[in-house]
Amino acid sequence: MLEISDLKASYDGTEILAGVDLDLLRGDSLAIIGESGAGKTTLGLALMGLLDGRCSGRILLDGKDVLSLDEKERRKMRGKDMAMVFQNVEDALDPLMTVFDQVEEAIVAHREKGDPEDVGDRVRHLFRSVGLDDGKSESFPHQLSGGEKQRALIAMALANDPQVLILDEPTASLDAVTKAEVTCLLRERIREKICLVITHDISTAAKLTGRMAVLYAGRIVEMGETEDLLENPRHPYTRGLIRSSPNMTTTKDLQGIPGRMKHGVSGCPFSDRCTQRIGRCGKEVPQLTEAGDRVIACHRGGIVPLLELSGVRTSFGEFAAVDGVDLTLYEGETIALVGESGSGKTTLAKTVIGLFEQDEGEIRLEGENLCRRDRDFYRRVQMIYQNPKESISHRMNVLEAVAEPLEVQKVGSPAERVAMVKRVLEEVELASDEAFLKKYPHQISGGEAQRVAIARALVLNPKLLIADEPTSALDASVQAKILKLLLNLQEKRGLAILFITHDIAIARKVSDRMAVMLEGKIVEEGLTSDVTTSPVHPYTMRLLEVAPDLAPTRGARERGVAKETREMRDGLWEVSEMPPLRAREI
Amino acid sequence: MHVNVWHELVESNVGKAGILLIGLVIFLALFAPVLSPYSPRENTDAPAFSRPSEEHWLGTNDARQDIWTQLLYGARTSLSVGFGVALLSAFIGVLVGGTAAIFGGLYDRFWMRVVDATIAIPDMIVIILVAAYLRPNVLLMILLLSALSWPEGARVVRAQTLTLKERMHVSAARTFGAGWSHLLVRHIIPDLGPVLVAIMIQDARRAVFMEAGLSFLGISDPSVMSWGKMMQYARVFTYLEVWKWWLLPTGLALSLTLIGLSFTGYSLESALDPRLREDGHHHHDGGI
Repeated sequence: MLEISDLKASYDGTEILAGVDLDLLRGDSLAIIGESGAGKTTLGLALMGLLDGRCSGRILLDGKDVLSLDEKERRKMRGKDMAMVFQNVEDALDPLMTVFDQVEEAIVAHREKGDPEDVGDRVRHLFRSVGLDDGKSESFPHQLSGGEKQRALIAMALANDPQVLILDEPTASLDAVTKAEVTCLLRERIREKICLVITHDISTAAKLTGRMAVLYAGRIVEMGETEDLLENPRHPYTRGLIRSSPNMTTTKDLQGIPGRMKHGVSGCPFSDRCTQRIGRCGKEVPQLTEAGDRVIACHRGGIVPLLELSGVRTSFGEFAAVDGVDLTLYEGETIALVGESGSGKTTLAKTVIGLFEQDEGEIRLEGENLCRRDRDFYRRVQMIYQNPKESISHRMNVLEAVAEPLEVQKVGSPAERVAMVKRVLEEVELASDEAFLKKYPHQISGGEAQRVAIARALVLNPKLLIADEPTSALDASVQAKILKLLLNLQEKRGLAILFITHDIAIARKVSDRMAVMLEGKIVEEGLTSDVTTSPVHPYTMRLLEVAPDLAPTRGARERGVAKETREMRDGLWEVSEMPPLRAREI
Repeated sequence: MHVNVWHELVESNVGKAGILLIGLVIFLALFAPVLSPYSPRENTDAPAFSRPSEEHWLGTNDARQDIWTQLLYGARTSLSVGFGVALLSAFIGVLVGGTAAIFGGLYDRFWMRVVDATIAIPDMIVIILVAAYLRPNVLLMILLLSALSWPEGARVVRAQTLTLKERMHVSAARTFGAGWSHLLVRHIIPDLGPVLVAIMIQDARRAVFMEAGLSFLGISDPSVMSWGKMMQYARVFTYLEVWKWWLLPTGLALSLTLIGLSFTGYSLESALDPRLREDGHHHHDGGI
């Protein structure tokens, strides 16, 4: 087994690894994910003993401390007990030797009295096991494609059947099809080994590993079962990584993480980019603590629930427009509330913001029960409406409208307010010159008016934004821009959005989770990707059936290219199935 | 719906006439010292009951006072009572009607019952009784008349506010944490504008009429000139020819003021009420 404790590494005084602890048993495969510069490769190199910089801590392999060994002993271990598949396939192979010779060399180096015949057989076996035939194995690196080079490297790493295999970006430079094949091959080869997959490619990591650790600025910030961690990230950084990686599962538009990674930040390494930081985050380093089957390093215990509704009921006389709704909205997350008109979506929104009073149930904001909504509440929760021109008084110009919340909340002096208005107008990508400030709602377009309304809602810096059909009065291209703007603002400010829409197609693009509402009740709730791809409730299915579709005659279109595509697909299947079959031959 | 009320007012003949009449009376009241060399209580050199002449355009009364001067200064009283009551009762009306609509519930029901009760009180008798106990003066008149005439305004303001309250920009302002005073001042009153003016003109008309009636009955500040009082004095001398230039012009001045206010009010209301606007020939109670 491999035990890493308090592993630190630094180059020229810059700490790259700031105390990593890991325990891995035979058969474990762990993904280390993170942005470039997080220290992933450094971790791999430190394990291999190939690090140029200083290294401290302990790395125990079957009880033997690897770090305290001298270079001669390390060399013996390298390639035999521990092997690494390097990141850059172009540089890792010697251009003057055939790949066969290179793999042979790796075996010979660890065999003191080897029978040459034996070695040759083993090399051929290895090449076959990674899907390269004898002809290819005799080639020089430049004669091979990227995928073939990668296979050769894998063969080399497997040459001495090491106990620990470190894969550094094993599929980074490969095209999608080759990537799928190599991934398939690797999955087969890493069984019964301790495997560390270092990658920023989350989907490859997900396919190869059972557990996943998120590395940020040299520290593990979250670790857990791969599937669970990807479905339900708890650390804000993990969520940011998932949101920014293109994949076929999530349906929301890609979002980045604001700021850049810096090493040596005091307190929580992620604190300067985190949207839910508190005073403590900048001072103390959070310790990895166990929370269920997850370990997480966050002072706030991971992404905090911002708004919690339980059993909320709002009725008008006998009629309950909202009838027992439970919903939790996390910091920086969008929940889409979907349903037909009259299903109680807007009533629910207005109940949350306090325009209607609930009869039963609890509404909590950041953990505190909302009994009375005082002025302070409206600094944290704001709302934008369906019709921007109606939601702005026709007697107010842009400046007056956006400054109104500041005026009501008695924030700043008049001059400061003007500065704040200008800043927020720029944030929503509007002009902030005098001419624009003096315009009245009827003098600007619908899209501009909605931006003004968004600016007005954001000028108080709220944590929760309730958007009630914010784009249904706008035409499609303006709508797209407004939705993008909302996503960007979410990314930048960590804004939680309760997005109310009747249009499941929009909801699919903007939300992390979706709640389908029918007759005042939430009938289905879950990850947007799950709800839209495998709906459970008949009403959700109905909504999806009637959702906008650009290919009403999809059947016919497919027929045109069906033959060719199907042939290609069959071919693909064969290729990707091959390596495991061959692997079993050994 | 965007109606330029002022524009419509000036466009209609009735409105134009009303505004001209009010303007004329205001002009006379404002420039009284310029338009007449005398003071209203001054005993002039002319003999009592003298006919209109170049020195005394409307002659003199029994105490050798210039009637034209008294008419001018009487306009001041009428107008100050009229405008004072209009402003004060509109203020109370907005405050009560506006907050009742915004808060609703028990508060609303309470104030609406107060409105009903106040409307049911017979104004004249209450004022005569109160004025009998307290020495009547212009300020007291304004207070008393306002106290009795605000409820109609409050009702209209409440009804209007109930509709305005549902507008989205008012909801939006509420979600900034705005209190009732902010809502009322920034969002409700600006949109009440024309309606409020109509209410104020109605109140002013009633107040001018009531003030004249009360001073005719002798309930007025004895030191202040008033059309009602003038008519009461003139009435005693109807057997002389003097009524032609004493009683008649005073009555005419009062009537023209009331007609001016009525005309303006009438055309304002037809500009505001789309049903009245479409066919302007609806019979409307001018209500003098």
